[in-house]
Amino acid sequence: MDDWKPSPLIKPFGARKKRSWYLTWKYKLTNQRALRRFCQTGAVVFLLVTVIVNIKLILDTRRAISEANEDPEPEQDYDEVLGRLEPPRRRGSGPRRVLDVEVYSSRSKVYVAVDGTTVLEDEAREQGRGIHVIVLNQATGHVMAKRVFDTYSPHEDEAMVLFLNMVAPGRVLICTVKDEGSFHLKDTAKALLRSLGSQAGPALGWRDTWAFVGRKGGPVLGEKHSKSPALSSWGDPVLLKTDVPLSSAEEAECHWADTELNRRRRRFCSKVEGYGSVCSCKDPTPIEFSPDPLPDNKVLNVPVAVIAGNRPNYLYRMLRSLLSAQGVSPQMITVFIDGYYEEPMDVVALFGLRGIQHTPISIKNARVSQHYKASLTATFNLFPEAKFAVVLEEDLDIAVDFFSFLSQSIHLLEEDDSLYCISAWNDQGYEHTAEDPALLYRVETMPGLGWVLRRSLYKEELEPKWPTPEKLWDWDMWMRMPEQRRGRECIIPDVSRSYHFGIVGLNMNGYFHEAYFKKHKFNTVPGVQLRNVDSLKKEAYEVEVHRLLSEAEVLDHSKNPCEDSFLPDTEGHTYVAFIRMEKDDDFTTWTQLAKCLHIWDLDVRGNHRGLWRLFRKKNHFLVSEEATLSHPNFPGATPKRGGSPRSCRTDMRPPPGPCGAGPGSESNLFIDCPEGLENRPNLEGLDFFLGWKAALRVGLALTQETAVPNPWTGPTGAHMLTQTHSDTLRHWTRPPLSILFVQLSKAG
Amino acid sequence: MSRINKNVVLALLTLTSSAFLLFQLYYYKHYLSTKNGAGLSKSKGSRIGFDSTQWRAVKKFIMLTSNQNVPVFLIDPLILELINKNFEQVKNTSQGSISQCTFFCVPRDFTAFALQYHLWKNEEGWFRIAENMGFQCLKIESKDPRLDGIDSLSGTEIPLHYICKLATHAIHLVVFHERSGNYLWHGHLRLKEHIDRKFVPFRKLQFGRYPGAFDRPELQQVTVDGLEVLIPKDPMHFVEEVPHSRFIECRYKEARAFFQQYLDDNTVEAMAFRKSAKELLQLAAKTLNKLGVPFWLSSGTCLGWYRQCNIIPYSKDVDLGIFIQDYKSDIILAFQDAGLPLKHKFGKVEDSLELSFQGKDDVKLDIFFFYEETDHMWNGGTQAKTGKKFKYLFPKFTLCWTEFVDMKVHVPCETLEYIEANYGKTWKIPVKTWDWKRSPPNVQPNGIWPISEWDEVVRY
Repeated sequence: MDDWKPSPLIKPFGARKKRSWYLTWKYKLTNQRALRRFCQTGAVVFLLVTVIVNIKLILDTRRAISEANEDPEPEQDYDEVLGRLEPPRRRGSGPRRVLDVEVYSSRSKVYVAVDGTTVLEDEAREQGRGIHVIVLNQATGHVMAKRVFDTYSPHEDEAMVLFLNMVAPGRVLICTVKDEGSFHLKDTAKALLRSLGSQAGPALGWRDTWAFVGRKGGPVLGEKHSKSPALSSWGDPVLLKTDVPLSSAEEAECHWADTELNRRRRRFCSKVEGYGSVCSCKDPTPIEFSPDPLPDNKVLNVPVAVIAGNRPNYLYRMLRSLLSAQGVSPQMITVFIDGYYEEPMDVVALFGLRGIQHTPISIKNARVSQHYKASLTATFNLFPEAKFAVVLEEDLDIAVDFFSFLSQSIHLLEEDDSLYCISAWNDQGYEHTAEDPALLYRVETMPGLGWVLRRSLYKEELEPKWPTPEKLWDWDMWMRMPEQRRGRECIIPDVSRSYHFGIVGLNMNGYFHEAYFKKHKFNTVPGVQLRNVDSLKKEAYEVEVHRLLSEAEVLDHSKNPCEDSFLPDTEGHTYVAFIRMEKDDDFTTWTQLAKCLHIWDLDVRGNHRGLWRLFRKKNHFLVSEEATLSHPNFPGATPKRGGSPRSCRTDMRPPPGPCGAGPGSESNLFIDCPEGLENRPNLEGLDFFLGWKAALRVGLALTQETAVPNPWTGPTGAHMLTQTHSDTLRHWTRPPLSILFVQLSKAG
Repeated sequence: MSRINKNVVLALLTLTSSAFLLFQLYYYKHYLSTKNGAGLSKSKGSRIGFDSTQWRAVKKFIMLTSNQNVPVFLIDPLILELINKNFEQVKNTSQGSISQCTFFCVPRDFTAFALQYHLWKNEEGWFRIAENMGFQCLKIESKDPRLDGIDSLSGTEIPLHYICKLATHAIHLVVFHERSGNYLWHGHLRLKEHIDRKFVPFRKLQFGRYPGAFDRPELQQVTVDGLEVLIPKDPMHFVEEVPHSRFIECRYKEARAFFQQYLDDNTVEAMAFRKSAKELLQLAAKTLNKLGVPFWLSSGTCLGWYRQCNIIPYSKDVDLGIFIQDYKSDIILAFQDAGLPLKHKFGKVEDSLELSFQGKDDVKLDIFFFYEETDHMWNGGTQAKTGKKFKYLFPKFTLCWTEFVDMKVHVPCETLEYIEANYGKTWKIPVKTWDWKRSPPNVQPNGIWPISEWDEVVRY
């Protein structure tokens, strides 16, 4: 027991024997003074080190923070300013779950207000007739689509049915009538309105007013209707005020797998409506197409500029076809939008492409012109290494072998200086006049509508003298002017690789489209191998043309060329017909012929030195000017201009009999197209629909044709053309036109 | 009792203090390594070689870029310099006998790579894959300067910089965009508000403080520390470009405003002059670049760039500036060979040198040589008739790249001061009659050439 005495320290430890060996050991140590001292100093040193480390840490942190902050300070302000500029979100964006919607319908005015913000207002005279439809997002209340269907006119109700069917279930639909919306509202459309739950819609009568708010596939949220009391008067204006409960965001969205593509899709579909199955929850249409790559693609690194305005539905269709074309490289595509429109940008973003907006400059044609210039300049800036650029428009379908066509022909643009462009469009390539997708032509006119521009041409010639904003010119008309074209030609395919589907536009309307664009042939065969591409070079083509002409069978010129029987019912033959041209730029006869062939006749297109190449009834059909009468079957050929390159005369064998007329009686060897035989609905009427551009085209064609009206002094042949230049001139030079005419002549 | 207390207190204190210290040390190390990995991994790198964080980050990054076909090349000045010094080693190790990690293990905060944007095909998926591989990535985007022209366009933003961090080392991927004028451009690294400013020590980045312009380098494949990378064929040329690469854009917004006020001259003569002036400038640039003589746009040409982003159509000549120390006697001969005969020569190399060459279509090329004093620069002028000398004073300036008529050329970075010195505060107003002896506000009479020297200094 005594052993335990020496130190009072023992007691506590002794009392707790279970304590660990550590404490026992420690106790032993404490007995030694030196060690105790050591421990004490050690602890103090420890403490000191801690303090020092602490201080260093603090100093270091401060320095690092100040460094990180110092640098980007000035820019911070800049970004903040930008942030502030962003408009505040919708008024009352708090946790409000109800929208108050006002819809007004009357004879001369409609408007729709959502939460006090007017989203539609139309009181313009003679505009906006019919049923206005607005689609709201059921979760956010944002306007997703705005359309007007002039159901007073035929077929518009079909477009409305198409549109309403595309709208996703659950969306808020708002309809309101301005002026008249029932005249051509057919049963299908009425049935659809009934299925939406509308009472008055299906019974909508002549000049009734009607306002409707409902959820697609859900309940009607409000409807007002006022019957027109008499044929000559309108229903009373109606104002519908209703509350629309908002649903949750999850309900408004589809449950697509979480991929990069679907993220784009989701962003798009929550903003806009009216694009059909791309937003359908079940099995949406793909937005990535991965078409087959082209072997040895020469245009893989050629930038593609898509010139667009505010026609997002067109752009959507266009980009789909473009991205499905074989050999497309999406990162080379840039969409240039003329104006700060949101929806076209949304479409561009949906496909993951590069979109660029351009502040509009000037008006009408000049605005388009300026947009073209800005877009082309930017394209060559963005791709400084590119030697070429493909120029497309938003209202074109692109053929599946568009890039294959370019890949096979682009070397011509590099090797042949006499070329102006390669275009995918044949102005004269209609269903009944184009046949061979492997065949290419050289033409003196610039067709546009999907074409390749050479960098040097743009940068050195066109850009510096591009028409300035105050000049109301069409860029394409300007490019076709001899000062710009300078005798160069374009390569085109027989069967177009683009299709112009736009029927709404600055220079376009339904009637014009129907007459000149609808029946255009469009290649749908993939991987067409072009034939004899090198024969399109300057000299080789002359040889080729000469071969064709010398092999062609001369048609019976005593027949009426406008009649079907003008060409025999054969297949695979080459025929030639001759027309009279007094001068290089005398296209009177051609225009008459073009009219009755139902091809482009508003100005001269598709010619190569007085030669046009078409197909008729599966036969190659050449229309050649008289001067090319080096044809072996053609008797007494007497070229007007000796040594002219046009007259590719070679041997002058005597004619082998059967060709009706003998030497001297050349009369029945020229086409005569008596007026009014099978002409287009007369120009006077058509002119009404043409708009400025077509008028301009004709105006320009005239400047090319005849600076001074040239009285017809033809030979005495019985079958000469009866319409004279002065007729044509009289026909076209109405006051507004003559102004344009003068402008253009000056420019020339 | 007191004794017990004292000891217990001491023991407790020691315990807590050491625990505390351990914690501090741990935290400090962690902190240091995230902030600047260099400090701690320094010794580690040289000792363990291929185990360093830098090497591992670079290796992973190169794996990523080669798998994803991201067209990158190495532009890190530090490493390029090392590679240049030990070029043999880089070439020889391609057989696979790597003994030591000498390049990528060097302590540093970042490794800089350039991304050739125009060759990049699969932009979308890349970022995600990098993050899946363990990189923490930051993407800095901004508007595309190539859209900024006389037409106002705006479009999808383009990526300018990526910074990808793996543990303590960060890869700085500078996006190089092609511009017209055959050069590569990178943007300014500008942090947006929401970006974590402590993500990496941004201040230590080698690229991005200013936008930059570089000659398009030819590339070569080398094996550096067992990793296959592309580097510029002439690494030193690239490294030398870095400190002088600052690029400034033309002020298109102001130019648009200028053209709204004073309509652009689009007459045939103006267009013809612009065309020949542009060709002359291109020819002069080509000739001087071949000689390796740096030059900048001066006087009227510089004003045209600054005020209207184009050649002033009534200026009738092209003006360039060259520092006198860059003067080479074969300049005159080289211009002659390029088809530009000497028209006149004033002054001499020691004083007021000015050369004038005759271009096509009566467009003249004037080259002014600039002399540097302690607080200003000046160039001289001589009146042929009288032998009078003039001196034009400019505040000191440095040179920046810019793009002018599809060319990469130098202009004074402090352009406004330069122009105000030459044309006064009213430089914004077009003046068609300009007397070079009296109109400039910075002109000073500078005596007269002694008659004996006239033969040498007035060659008219």
